[in-house]
Amino acid sequence: MNENLFTPFTTPTLLELPVVVPIILFPTLLLPTSKYLINNRLITIQQKLVQLILKQMMVIHNTKGQTWSLMLMSLIIFIASTNFLGLLPYSFTATTQLSMNLAMAIPLWAGTVITGLRFKTKSSLAHFLPQGTPTPLIPALVIIETISLFIQPMALAVRLTANITAGHLLMHLIGSATLALLTISLLATSLTLVLLVMLTILEMAVALIQAYVFTLLVSLYLHDNT
Amino acid sequence: MPQLNTSTWFITIMAMLPALYLIMQLKLLNTTYHFSPSQKVLSMQTTNNSWQLKWTKIYLPHSQPQHS
Repeated sequence: MNENLFTPFTTPTLLELPVVVPIILFPTLLLPTSKYLINNRLITIQQKLVQLILKQMMVIHNTKGQTWSLMLMSLIIFIASTNFLGLLPYSFTATTQLSMNLAMAIPLWAGTVITGLRFKTKSSLAHFLPQGTPTPLIPALVIIETISLFIQPMALAVRLTANITAGHLLMHLIGSATLALLTISLLATSLTLVLLVMLTILEMAVALIQAYVFTLLVSLYLHDNT
Repeated sequence: MPQLNTSTWFITIMAMLPALYLIMQLKLLNTTYHFSPSQKVLSMQTTNNSWQLKWTKIYLPHSQPQHS
């Protein structure tokens, strides 16, 4: 039972070839580029969306933080497109892989921390001690703040992995429950079907939100450190 | 849990790195955002020269092609 439930999350291989490579690269195919001034509808819509997201995310940063806008934009587009494509049946979602999320979270978080330490050393170190703490609590609080700093990339990666994996698992389970109830009681089937439809809508929202949250947190860490 | 099977971690990470850092960024860099064309404002030259007391028609734009 355990083996069958988690098999959608194994990295796919086709005749021992790692087909995970083209699967990860696939969402980039859905974003056409064009050098024309006036484009077709698809490209215009995509460019308008990117511009909307760009303005929304980067307006809180100062000049130094805005140098990260290309990185954060490509991050949110990549995660959102990968999550959305994962909602199709029998597809493989690369963001369920802890490896990939760790490889995304750790370098970005480390980049923000190192930027902060290089350019605003005193102020970034000052984050370890909130203002107005009583003197006896200072050692414990510095330890706690250090731990919470180092847990940030782990939390980023595990949050994305767990949310997408749990959503996919839930859809899988409720879908098979719907099928199993079909022969038993039609009322229960229709109720479960409604549940499945609502869950799918939720998953679409979650796909978007997780991308947003990931990028927002990275940008927040950036804001602290620039 | 198959996500913890570290034998596939290398290929996954290696596939993600060019997808995210190379191809996505190149696609976003190749989007052009142009300003909508607007009319250029042609302002007439005003008499702010203190040695010219009278505005004459030599101050109209394009009436004196600059031959030098």
